[in-house]
Amino acid sequence: MKIVNLILRLVIGGVFVASAVAKIANVQVTHAHGVQFSHVPDLTQFAQDVANYHVPPRTLTNLVAITLPWIELLAGGLLVCGIWKRASAVVITALMVVFLAAIGWALAHGYDIRCGCFGTVDARKVGITALAQDAVLLAIAAWLAWRLKD
Amino acid sequence: MRRTFERALLIVVAGALLGLTANGISPRRIPYITPPLAPPQAQDTVPLKEAQELWTGGSALFLDARSPSDYAAGHIAGALSLPVEEFEDHFAQVSTMFTTDSTIVAYCDGVECDLSHRLMDKLRGLGYHNVRLLVNGWTTWHTAGLPAHTGDQP
Repeated sequence: MKIVNLILRLVIGGVFVASAVAKIANVQVTHAHGVQFSHVPDLTQFAQDVANYHVPPRTLTNLVAITLPWIELLAGGLLVCGIWKRASAVVITALMVVFLAAIGWALAHGYDIRCGCFGTVDARKVGITALAQDAVLLAIAAWLAWRLKD
Repeated sequence: MRRTFERALLIVVAGALLGLTANGISPRRIPYITPPLAPPQAQDTVPLKEAQELWTGGSALFLDARSPSDYAAGHIAGALSLPVEEFEDHFAQVSTMFTTDSTIVAYCDGVECDLSHRLMDKLRGLGYHNVRLLVNGWTTWHTAGLPAHTGDQP
């Protein structure tokens, strides 16, 4: 079981680190130029993606865009490194609940918006795929929060 | 258990502080509090009556900034779909229908809707100088009983 938990930890921690880096570094993927990191992080697009959900009050959307990726990075990084594993898993579980609720909210309102799940790196729209993917991640995170010891 | 939650809280607070610091030192920092959308100026909007005249005279092109599914559910007759969320995917095709001098009326739906505002900004940035908004466009047009179509064709 230990090996399973280790793999799950690395997977979910890795997903969180990757999505955080994509948002912070404003990674762009284009057919013409492949993967590109912008020289200077720019949160403008991600902040717009957050605003499109109409979940946080409009005045707070920038604050969410500024802080969220770094919380993801810290929690994901700690989980991968095996430091404060349980606490990190708890944070990730809570974030997954919020993300799932936001996607559900967007779908329920028929918003045709970019997911923003991995920042600007993927232009995917919110939809059943994103919902299912987040549900799987939530299940893993909750399992880890339950099973891991700090 | 309690210690776990204390640590979890610490991770959230530390992450948030990192983010605030990083944004503070970034050359492309964004405002911590989102500035309110500048309300459209009077000269940027088209009153319904004028929009109707432009439509009847055929002297303006109407652009629907909403999603393709909203467009298909009902749009101003003759309006083209240019969803601002997928601007790059649609612009090349739609832009063959007008020039930088064309009179363009952009609209979306709802007083709070900013899609048409964003479309206007994008088009103006590309040199289309004669773009204005019909505020709360679809609802205003539709409730006035003006010509409308459904489906994905104008």
